[in-house]
Amino acid sequence: MVRNIVILGGNSHPALTEHICNILGLPVSNRILSKFSVGETRCEIKDSVRGKDVFIIQSGGGSVNDHLMELCIMISACKIGSAKRVTAVLPLFPYSRQPDLPYNKAGAPLSKPPSEVPKDKYTFESVPATPAPGIQKTPGFSIDTDLSGAMSRTSLTNGNGHGLVNGTARLNGETSANGEASSAPARPGLTTMHTQSFTTHDLQNPALINTFQAKPGYKRWVAQAGTLVADLLTCAGADHVVALDLHDPQYQGFFDIPMDNLYGRPLLQRYIQQNIPDYREAVIVSPDAGGAKRATAIADSLGMDFALIHKERRPTRITDRQNATMMLVGNVAHRICILIDDLVDTANTITRAAKLLRKERATTVYALITHGVFSGDAIQRINISSIDKIVVTNSVPQVEHQRQCPKLDVLDVSPIFAEAIRRIHHGESISVLFQYD
Amino acid sequence: MGDMANEIKLLSGNSHPVLAKLVADRLGIELAKTLSLNYSNQETSVTIGESVRDEDVFILQSTAPGDINDGLMELLIMIHACRTASARRVTVVTPNFPYARQDKKDKSRAPISAKLIANMLQTAGCNHVITMDLHASQIQGFFNVPVDNLYAEPSVLRWIRENRGTDDVVIVSPDAGGAKRATAIADRLDRAFALIHKERPRPNVVGRMVLVGDVVDKVAILVDDMADTCGTLAKAAQTVKDHGAREVIAIVTHGILSGNAINILNESCLSQIVVTNTVPLGDKVERCSKLRVIDVSPTLAEAIRRTHNGESVSFLFNHAPA
Repeated sequence: MVRNIVILGGNSHPALTEHICNILGLPVSNRILSKFSVGETRCEIKDSVRGKDVFIIQSGGGSVNDHLMELCIMISACKIGSAKRVTAVLPLFPYSRQPDLPYNKAGAPLSKPPSEVPKDKYTFESVPATPAPGIQKTPGFSIDTDLSGAMSRTSLTNGNGHGLVNGTARLNGETSANGEASSAPARPGLTTMHTQSFTTHDLQNPALINTFQAKPGYKRWVAQAGTLVADLLTCAGADHVVALDLHDPQYQGFFDIPMDNLYGRPLLQRYIQQNIPDYREAVIVSPDAGGAKRATAIADSLGMDFALIHKERRPTRITDRQNATMMLVGNVAHRICILIDDLVDTANTITRAAKLLRKERATTVYALITHGVFSGDAIQRINISSIDKIVVTNSVPQVEHQRQCPKLDVLDVSPIFAEAIRRIHHGESISVLFQYD
Repeated sequence: MGDMANEIKLLSGNSHPVLAKLVADRLGIELAKTLSLNYSNQETSVTIGESVRDEDVFILQSTAPGDINDGLMELLIMIHACRTASARRVTVVTPNFPYARQDKKDKSRAPISAKLIANMLQTAGCNHVITMDLHASQIQGFFNVPVDNLYAEPSVLRWIRENRGTDDVVIVSPDAGGAKRATAIADRLDRAFALIHKERPRPNVVGRMVLVGDVVDKVAILVDDMADTCGTLAKAAQTVKDHGAREVIAIVTHGILSGNAINILNESCLSQIVVTNTVPLGDKVERCSKLRVIDVSPTLAEAIRRTHNGESVSFLFNHAPA
C-alpha cells in the first residue's frame, strides 16, 4: 500500500507505534535506542533511510527529557542518513502546558507563597539615574584618582599566576600580602551587595523550595519552554510535525515548519454516542474557562447542553489560590455530567470539578480527556474521587494506569495517526480528518 | 551599585552546584537566584529569581552521570529563559561537554549527537561556550559561536610536581587517540612517554592491549581525558604493571566513573586515580580511597572573569591560576 516510507518509534510508546504500523501494513523499522552507562542516549538506525519518507513516533509522557532527546537524536540521525523528509509524530506534545507558578515535586501548587517584598526597602529608581535636568550626574573618575594600583591588579604579571587576584585573597586568606590593595575589590561590579541570596538545588527539600525568594522588586518568573521545544525539533532537522489536541492552538505558530494538529474530538464524540445512555439528556461540562471552546464544540455538534466551571481567581493573597472557589455556571441537577478536557496531569482540577458537580446533584460524572498523563498521585486521587468513569486515549501508555484504576477506559488513537501518516506521505489533504460532523 | 548593569551573573544548573559555588566564591560573587526542579510529569521547570536584563550571564552546567538528558534540557531552558529575559550575552560553562564522544558518523545512520547538542545550545540562544578538555577539539567547529576549550593540563602538571615529583616518571597514553595529550604532558615534564594500543570491538567493552615504550621500574602515569566505566583504564594499568612498572597511577580530566567504575578501580592495580572536579563525584571519594581530586574552579573562574572583561583567555592554556 505504502512504499518508500519508514516508521520509527521511540522508547516512550512502542505499543502505539506497533498499532500504527499494523494499520498501515508496514513493519516497524529497526533501531538501537538505549543509553550508555553514563546516561547519554545511544541511537543507531539499522534500516536504510536514504531518500525515504521517515516518520518518528515519540510521545511526551514518562521521562520527558529523555524522550525528547531521543527524538531529536533520531531525527538528526535520519537527516544525516540522507532521509528525504523527517516527520516527528508526537501524540502528546512535551512541554505543551506549563503552569506559570512554581509547583512542588508532588505537582500541587506551593502551599507557601513567596514572601512579601519589603516595599519600604525597595525603590524602583535605577542606579545610576537616567540623565535628566536636575538629576545629579554619575560621578566619574576624578582626575587625581590613582588608577595604577587598581589596574595592576587586573593585569598579568610574569605569567606565574600571581597576578590573578580575583578572589584569591578570599580563598587562602593571604590578605596581608597585598595589603589594602586586595581588600578593596578591583571592580565594584564583581561584588554584589546582597548577602542572603542562594540557589536551590535540592528537589527533595520542600523547605528550600518554599523559602525560595526572588530578589526584592523582581517578580519571580518561570521559564516557558514552549518555543524552545519547537525550535529544538526544527534544529534537529524535523521537516514536519504532527501532534494531537495541543493545549494551546497558538503553539502551531511557534513552528516555522508545517505542523498538523489532529483532534481527538471524533473519538470522544463517538464514545459519548455509543457508551453513554441517553446522552442527549446529559450535560457537557468544561472544568475551566480555558477549555470552554473545546467543550462547547462537542456540545454543539451533539446538540447537548453545556455548563462551565469557573474558578474564582481573585484571592486576596496567593495562599488562597489553592482554595480558590469553584463556581458552576449552568444546571446539572439530576443529570449525567460529562467533563471534557485536553489533558489530565495531577488530576487536581478534574477531581475537584467532579466533587462540585456531585454537590450540585449530578447523577453520574464522566470525564473524557484526550491525554491521560496521570503523574504523581493522580490515579489514587481519581480512584477516591466522585468521577464514575474516566476515558482517555492511548496517546501515552495506559496499561499500567488501567491496572491501577478500574474507572479508566482507553480509546485507541492509532487509526487517526495512521491515516494522517498515510495522507501526509501521499500528499493528500488531511483536513478531511478535521471534518467529522 | 548593586544594580549596575552588565555584571557577571553566574547561574547554576542542578548538575554540579558544588563547582558553581567554588567558581562563584572565586569570583567573589553570589550565585544568581534560580530554582529548577521537575514537575510531577517530569518536565523541567526553571524559575529565575532576579533580573538578568542587560547582564553578562554565565550558566554553569556539567554532566551528572545518569541525568545527562535532564541536565541538558535544564540548561537549554535556562539559556532560553535568560535570552528571552533580555540578557546581553549568555555564555554556557560546561566543563564536561555532553555527548562529546558521539562526534562522528562512525557507522551508517549513526547520529553526530555532539553536533546536535551544539546546534541545540545555539538554538536556545547561547552566545559563547566555555568548556574544558573536549574529547575532540574539532567539536569547536560544530559551533558558529566562540568556543573556549580550556585545558586541565596546567593544573595536572602542578599536581604531578607537587604530589608525585617527576623522578622515575613515565607518561602513558592508554590509547592512540590520547597520544597527543600525553606527549604534551611528557614534554612539559621532560619525561619519557609510552603508549598502549588497544582493540575495541564494541562500545564500553575492551579488547587486547599492546604496550609501546619502556616502563620498567618506573612510576607510570596514565593520562586520559575521561574515565567512564574504567574498564579500559584498569586493563591499561594491568598491562603497564605486567610490563614491569613499579607503580601505576591514572590522571584523567573528566571522572565520570559511571556504572561499576568504583569497584573496578578499587580492584585494579592502580595506586591512585586523580580526576578533576569537572564532573560531580558525589560520594565516590568516600567509596574509593584511591581517588584524588584536582580543583579546576580557579581556571573556570578566571576564564569567566577574562571573558567578561574582554581579556585574552590564552594565558590559561599554559598556566593554572593559584
